Amino acid sequence: MLFTMFLLGLVYAVLIAVLIAAGAGAVSIAIIAAGLFAVQLFTSDKIALYSMGAREVTPEQAPQLHAMVDRLCVQANIPKPRVAIAQTPMPNAFAVGRSPKTATVCATTGILNLLEPAELEAVLGHEITHVLNRDVVVMTIASFFASIAAFITQFGFFFGGGFGGRNNQNNQGNAFIFVILISAAVYVISFMLLQALSRYREFAADRGSAILTGRPSALISALMKIDGGMARVPQRDLRAASSELAAFYIFPPKAKQTIGGLFSTHPPLAARIERLQRLEAQLQGTA
Amino acid sequence: MGRRKLAQPAPDRLFAMSTAYVTMETSMGLTSRGTAAIVFQPLATADFESIVHDMEEVVRATASDSGTTVSSSDDTYGFRWLVLRGSDFDDLVVGINAVSSALEAGGYGDRVLCAVFGFDDQRRKRPVYWIYNYKRGAFYPFAPAAGAEQRDNEREFVLKAQVGKELPVEQELERWFPLWGTPI
Repeated sequence: MLFTMFLLGLVYAVLIAVLIAAGAGAVSIAIIAAGLFAVQLFTSDKIALYSMGAREVTPEQAPQLHAMVDRLCVQANIPKPRVAIAQTPMPNAFAVGRSPKTATVCATTGILNLLEPAELEAVLGHEITHVLNRDVVVMTIASFFASIAAFITQFGFFFGGGFGGRNNQNNQGNAFIFVILISAAVYVISFMLLQALSRYREFAADRGSAILTGRPSALISALMKIDGGMARVPQRDLRAASSELAAFYIFPPKAKQTIGGLFSTHPPLAARIERLQRLEAQLQGTA
Repeated sequence: MGRRKLAQPAPDRLFAMSTAYVTMETSMGLTSRGTAAIVFQPLATADFESIVHDMEEVVRATASDSGTTVSSSDDTYGFRWLVLRGSDFDDLVVGINAVSSALEAGGYGDRVLCAVFGFDDQRRKRPVYWIYNYKRGAFYPFAPAAGAEQRDNEREFVLKAQVGKELPVEQELERWFPLWGTPI
């Protein structure tokens, strides 16, 4: 999904470069870009829900889920968003929508079966904090600005007296390729900054969940279950583990990180757990 | 050589429990069950058995002054539990330490797995155990929950946060191995 986002944005930047090279004026490019941005802002939530197969549910159909969302929204002081369930065994929960009034919170059947009520409420608190912080809008605007940055670079370069300008036929091909390369480079840097912003917003959503529920440890427990990797409190008995000597002087094998830190939208699980533990210590007054 | 030396027990950090339990009873909603155990892997040699026997006698002798009782049992994993029961918590800590010292003095320190202290969790109306891993020199909480081999991770994290610096707590969560079917 991450690579897809990256490629999509790259296409955006290259498209603008092509438009410039084709001689489109700044105004028409601005209109096209603004149009695409508006479409993205107004339809991305519907597209996301549709692609997950999410169906809205009424309080009669999912009373406990609705009750949790009710409590969290009272605590967060936002209007209650729509609630949807997606039929898939993959444990996941997400929120879409550009404002609390137009938002939908969705949970998969996988996560409803996996987590205890307190853990589920912690995860929903995380998602509702995203709604509260208007993270969808923030990230859309930020990614739009990244494209604008690429656009300005290309525009400034091509018309600001770069490689000979329009009159020199020989250099026009080279300048064209150069423009595309520069805009791609600007885009890559903006993308990495966007990932850093996204990770920051994830930490903020974890913190928001802890504040809404007052139970940061429930979120830790939920994250470990969803992650399903090595970084969780073990089930294996100490006596079984010791006979394999793993408990004592061989470090348990760490799960390999599948995406490098610079390129992931979520912070690593260990960092999130460490921050949540600090929050719990602050809550208990022992920090 | 190539072989790592087996870690020897770190007993002095065990004594942190004799002050920490006060905090547990006053502000963490836990009360001591008056039970503590030391778990070790017995060796089928005469030397080992005689050390264990002598040590049990010593502990019985010193413990009987305060009404602490000593019992011993083997579990399905092949480990032996030496269980101390009594109302004087300090005596429990001292007794546990006496056992581990005797084993270490006999050269069997590496056979010691852990010490366990039993508490009642007032909040959940269930037992909660603080397990001391001798080789790591650190404690961690273990809160068994309803159902087969279930544990309440959230409660364990809260207890870790509440005990703060009073106990040396195991920081690596992957080492919080449970002891299913703890008989104390």
